[in-house]
Amino acid sequence: MSDKKTEQATNVAAPAAAGTAVIEVKDIGKRYGNIIALSDVSTSVRAGEVTCVLGDNGAGKSTFIKILAGAHEHSDGDLLIDGQATTLSSPRAALELGIATVYQDLAVVPLMPVWRNFFLGSEITKGFGPFKKLDVDEMKRITKDELAAMGIDLRDVEQPIGTLSGGERQCVAIARAVYFGARVLILDEPTAALGVKQSGVVLKYIAKARDRGLGVVFITHNPHHAYPVGDRFMLLRRGKSMGDFPKAEMTLEELTSMMAGGAELESLAHELEKTMGADSEIAQTMKADVT
Amino acid sequence: MKKIKIVGAILAAGTLLAACSGTGSDSGTADTAKKDYTYAVITHGAPGDAFWDRVKSGAEQAGKDYGVKVEYSSDADPAKQSQLIDGAVADKVDGIVVSMANPDGLEASVKKAVAAGVPVITINSGVDKFKDFGAITHIGQTETIAGQAVGEKLKADGSKNAICVIQEAGNVGLEERCKAVAETMGGKVENLQVDGTDDNAVSATITSKLQSETGIDTVVTLGGQYAIDAVSAVKDSGSKAKVATFDLSEDVIKDIQAGTILFAVDQQPYVQGFMGVTGLYLKSINGNDIGGGQPINSGPAFITKENADAVLKFAANGTR
Amino acid sequence: MTTATVTDERIARTSTVTKLLKRPEIGALVAAIVIFVFFAATTSVFATAPGASTWLRGASTIGIMAVAVALLMIGGEFDLSAGAMTGFTGLIVGVLTTEYGLNIWAAILVSLALALLVGFINGVLVMKTGLPSFIVTLGTFFVLQGIDLAGTKALIGQVAIQGMSNVPYYDSAKKVFGSAADIGGGLVYASVFWWLAVTAIATWVLLRTRTGNWIFSVGGQQTAARQIGVPVFKTKVGLFMTTAGAGWLVGMLLLFTTSTVQSNTGVGQEFIYIICAVVGGCLMTGGYGSAIGAALGALIYGMVNQGIVYSGWDNNWLKAFLGVMLLGAVLLNEWVRKRAETAR
Repeated sequence: MSDKKTEQATNVAAPAAAGTAVIEVKDIGKRYGNIIALSDVSTSVRAGEVTCVLGDNGAGKSTFIKILAGAHEHSDGDLLIDGQATTLSSPRAALELGIATVYQDLAVVPLMPVWRNFFLGSEITKGFGPFKKLDVDEMKRITKDELAAMGIDLRDVEQPIGTLSGGERQCVAIARAVYFGARVLILDEPTAALGVKQSGVVLKYIAKARDRGLGVVFITHNPHHAYPVGDRFMLLRRGKSMGDFPKAEMTLEELTSMMAGGAELESLAHELEKTMGADSEIAQTMKADVT
Repeated sequence: MKKIKIVGAILAAGTLLAACSGTGSDSGTADTAKKDYTYAVITHGAPGDAFWDRVKSGAEQAGKDYGVKVEYSSDADPAKQSQLIDGAVADKVDGIVVSMANPDGLEASVKKAVAAGVPVITINSGVDKFKDFGAITHIGQTETIAGQAVGEKLKADGSKNAICVIQEAGNVGLEERCKAVAETMGGKVENLQVDGTDDNAVSATITSKLQSETGIDTVVTLGGQYAIDAVSAVKDSGSKAKVATFDLSEDVIKDIQAGTILFAVDQQPYVQGFMGVTGLYLKSINGNDIGGGQPINSGPAFITKENADAVLKFAANGTR
Repeated sequence: MTTATVTDERIARTSTVTKLLKRPEIGALVAAIVIFVFFAATTSVFATAPGASTWLRGASTIGIMAVAVALLMIGGEFDLSAGAMTGFTGLIVGVLTTEYGLNIWAAILVSLALALLVGFINGVLVMKTGLPSFIVTLGTFFVLQGIDLAGTKALIGQVAIQGMSNVPYYDSAKKVFGSAADIGGGLVYASVFWWLAVTAIATWVLLRTRTGNWIFSVGGQQTAARQIGVPVFKTKVGLFMTTAGAGWLVGMLLLFTTSTVQSNTGVGQEFIYIICAVVGGCLMTGGYGSAIGAALGALIYGMVNQGIVYSGWDNNWLKAFLGVMLLGAVLLNEWVRKRAETAR
């Protein structure tokens, strides 16, 4: 087991050619005792592509991420990484395979300076033995450069990360994962708590990460955020997959409709039309979304 | 802020726990031909205090010698000490030895015990009240008697300006000792408060005092431990002050032999514990009321260079 | 702290003063200076070499513990057994040498091993049960206090170690832990040098090593730290062991400076350590603070403790002063944290 791990870890550095599947999930499932949280989910994550996982609250999105991130082990199906069936036993194991997760709460420590957060757990050191110390200047420089590359211009990387805006923090977390050689970036609802403009900024960084050849797993419940950047859409509902579609087979309208439960929404639009009049704004947009 | 609240709650819980302890009850064995007597010794001494530790040793030794059971418990808080007394009465002990640092606080409980027919002997402090409360006698010596004796001896030795080191804030007994020293010594006696749980700080504080007031010619400490700290402080500060102390320890006697401590007044705590149990035992087996309604003095005895050698081996045993 | 490669015209505006004001220990530093100046001006002995040596001595042992406790608090935990630990370790050495004739250095090592074991147990219990460290270490505190009282009494028949100075090789250990050097007319005890060393090492670890980064992160946001791959368990257990180790060091310093230790040594001191750490800028909630700040907190405590004596005031006022300092520090820290945590 450990042999395999180290072997794969050495592969991390080698970038996969665009379009190669880094992660493949086949009929994966998770049971907690006799509760089935997730079943029969299949999709793939490819280098240089964005796989969007869509679903409403309670659809099983977080269970799915936890399996990919190594926080929970799957109980059914296969998780293939670089074509090899694997069980991720810990977040560290996932990280070693180049799978980095940016959680909703961002995994940042608000009171710590930006640069310390950036390098937390993977600090750069110099010196030997007991005199091994942090290379502070180097880390500050890299942090500043990496953030600049993502388009964030920080006045001072020494400021606590808690003083940054939500979008900026999200980007620091993404930049961090990218810098540390993630091949696959899992983003858990990165736009959920953000306003329209901030969400746009984050989507831009997702695209940037994709262009750098990373495979991105973008979890969201907002099809309007998913569609512009996604290459592949996997929809979850009540712990079950509703299908896994490449962008070519899907329009935004179809996606929105499927997300909301298709027929149900259509009848709701119909009802609204009756009560509020066909010309009412809500009914109009609703209809546009559904059809 | 939430955490601070938790601390408070825990501390409160802790004190409650402490209050509940110490009332072990395994008396009440069936009446056989020879009755197994059980006596409760309930003091206000803090656990770990060398003085009370010797009281406890004395009481336990008496128990062993007479073949009776002695249950020692203590709490510095008079309210909790009363609870211990009530508990002992409920336990139907054959007698109670109690130290009354705060007689008013214990009045109800002691009277209740006497009314329930439990013989009571007071020790250490409470000499003014033992008769009122109905105790057989009082064994010990007030803080005042010992303090006055120290004051007189210091006066004879020419002390004019002394500090009296108090190791525990708010302890009535310690304040009384210093007050009594001041009464008989004459001259200037000033109290110095130190933190008795940190010997380093004790020594530093005494040093500071000696540095800032070079006229001080005497340091009086109220426990053997603190005399050692005072000796090192006198040395550090380059002062010529002499050290006198209440209570003994092996190291104190060695310092007396070496001449760095002038004398120690031994309140003979062992006697207080031993005699307390003895008085109750006499009452149980023979109906004696020792003391004849008068208090019995357990001390004080002075340890100076002359008699230090003789006392050393007992101090090493932890009984003096 | 600007890097040579990147020059940002906005950086120039944050002057050194502003940067200094952002340090967690700034409040303690200012307070320490004010207190020093006050007592130096109002008393004749305070600022002399003998005077300074006295308050440094008083501050040193408290300071060592405060620094260790500060690390632990930055790591988000408390250790209420820290005070009793100083007595526990000293008593072990005292009992093993005076009663059982064990070689003094061997006894010192046994004592260290036991202290680290207790720290390890504290850490593992906190991490495995998820209980607040307050409860767990309160338990160990009572256990240690009980052992100190009952164990010592049972083994040597009294409650204070006697005759320590007759133990073979006592002098060699005293040289390390209890000697004093005359510097400029004032006696400087070994404990002061230990204090400086501990503060320097702790500061270095905290600000310049990976371990330091991890300490900040486990206290600031444990879940985040775990997700990123910080070894939370190891870091926290290590912190508890560090505090226990510091307790051992202080136990040795007390034992060999005063040549005796008693059962109640250190009981109640744990709160003074916490107060010093908080005055030095540590947050009660963890994730923020400084080792230098804690050392300054202890210095303030030591200076006030002795300064009150030099001034000839009733030093029962010390407690009231401590309370005011603590409240002031907590309010200041709370304000700092709010500023640091809220988005601009």
